[in-house]
Amino acid sequence: MLNTLDCRGMECPGPVLHVRKTLLDVSPASITVLVDNEAARQNVIRLLEYQKYQVTSDKLGDDIRVTGTKGDGVNIPEESSFALPIIERGVRAKKIVVLITSVHMGHGDDGLGDMLMFNFIKTLKELGPDLWRVIFVNSGVSFTAEDSEAVPVLLELAETGIQIMACGACLAFFHLLDKMQVGEVTNMLDIVISMKEADSVVTV
Amino acid sequence: MTDEPVRLTTTVKGAGCAAKLAPGVLDKALCGLDLPVDPNVLVGLERADDAGVYRVSADLALVQTVDFFPPMVDDPFSFGQIAAANALSDIYAMGGVPKTAMNIVAFPSKTLDISILRAIIEGGLDKMREAGVVLVGGHTIEDSELKYGLSVTGYISPDRIMTKKNLQVGDCLILTKPLGTGIITTAIKAGLADQAVIDMVTMAMTTLNRVAALTMDSFQVHACTDITGFGFLGHLAEMVVDSEYGVRINASNVPIYSEALEWAAMGLIPAGAYNNKSFRGSFVDFSTDVNQNVQDLLYDPQTSGGLLIAVAARDAENLVDALKMNGIDCAAIVGEVVREPVSRIVVV
Repeated sequence: MLNTLDCRGMECPGPVLHVRKTLLDVSPASITVLVDNEAARQNVIRLLEYQKYQVTSDKLGDDIRVTGTKGDGVNIPEESSFALPIIERGVRAKKIVVLITSVHMGHGDDGLGDMLMFNFIKTLKELGPDLWRVIFVNSGVSFTAEDSEAVPVLLELAETGIQIMACGACLAFFHLLDKMQVGEVTNMLDIVISMKEADSVVTV
Repeated sequence: MTDEPVRLTTTVKGAGCAAKLAPGVLDKALCGLDLPVDPNVLVGLERADDAGVYRVSADLALVQTVDFFPPMVDDPFSFGQIAAANALSDIYAMGGVPKTAMNIVAFPSKTLDISILRAIIEGGLDKMREAGVVLVGGHTIEDSELKYGLSVTGYISPDRIMTKKNLQVGDCLILTKPLGTGIITTAIKAGLADQAVIDMVTMAMTTLNRVAALTMDSFQVHACTDITGFGFLGHLAEMVVDSEYGVRINASNVPIYSEALEWAAMGLIPAGAYNNKSFRGSFVDFSTDVNQNVQDLLYDPQTSGGLLIAVAARDAENLVDALKMNGIDCAAIVGEVVREPVSRIVVV
């Protein structure tokens, strides 16, 4: 019997309290919680882990589903403490990481390169559910910041569950840290781990 | 009045500094604005510090700040005290002396009794008196949620402005209040905190940073800030980013509330802590010895938090002793400024 708690629309710390009450009342062997924001997701995961549940989370449209199970039922591998929590979506055959290292695509004419790169980003969605993460480094991080015409395109990708990540040191270097509009700030360790976990890495 | 007092924290969505607009979002509204220029602006928006400083004459400058937020405790008088202590703190963190204040109030007069507002303002006045500050005015609007705070103006000597920058290699970092008020006030809102914990954290949040500021004045202090909404690591990052040095924090020396550690493990972490982490996390390297709950505490948004002081190493022990002698018992050396890694925070 799977218990589902709908904690969408609740203000912090509502979701945690709601889940806690259920755990205290019935102590279910498994529990599913629906939340609608990242802080609630992390807090509910915290609470379930504190109560010795094994926890996974995935994306359901605009919402996030957190599932906790106890006992020997399912063997869920533990998340690496370094890697960012991975939000699974749809059916993914492969995990593709796209690493964008510049504002230009290729060498030759930079104007042409700019146009090609923007076109490339717009076309990324054709990779379908196999696209896992798009990581921006060096001058590429400017695509995630204000004024870039790529921002709405990346927001659309992010909405389908694709993770948009931009190198923090690069954002800082270009004074864009405060101007980031889409995705999350990442570091070299996460980038390296992403490469390790990916089935293929496309670098442009 | 009803028999059951209104629990102020249940009337609002965000609590205290956890209600602050996420860093990065605000910047969308502010960046690229055409700011008026004046050579007498010594500290302005472009180098965002704790407070703004405007030179009046060669030896006198005005230091100004404003701060207000929704209640993070249920008792109106305590809320007034905390909001005032929090607003005054920015002046102390700059090395200034607060002189005048104005109330900023948003009040839902249809749902809350006006006696509540009176108690809040009395709490604010209590702290203004302690600070030697006069209330010279204010502005009140009708709003669906209660908010209170102050704009404060003070004096500062133009050659003794204590900014966030100017760390020197070898400096020791001293923190004057324990961390964890964001998590604890979340637990208060949740109704999980008992009265002893509420009293303890209220006492800390209502304590002015005045004594700490006066104490540090006689030591070789190079930089200072106060710990509020961006959390310990967020405010520390403001000191470190773009500086020539890095800092090394010894997590086990950082004063924290043990209750907050337990509630962090339960997931009672304000969204502000996650915002702070995603905004500044890329500048921070944690040793694997620092457990997750301690990491969260270091990002926890503080209301009326303590001062974070960078002081010359030879003065560090003496400053801690002096702070303790003046009643700031938890004052501790929490880290040091190091040559490498540049512009990064290492937490061990």
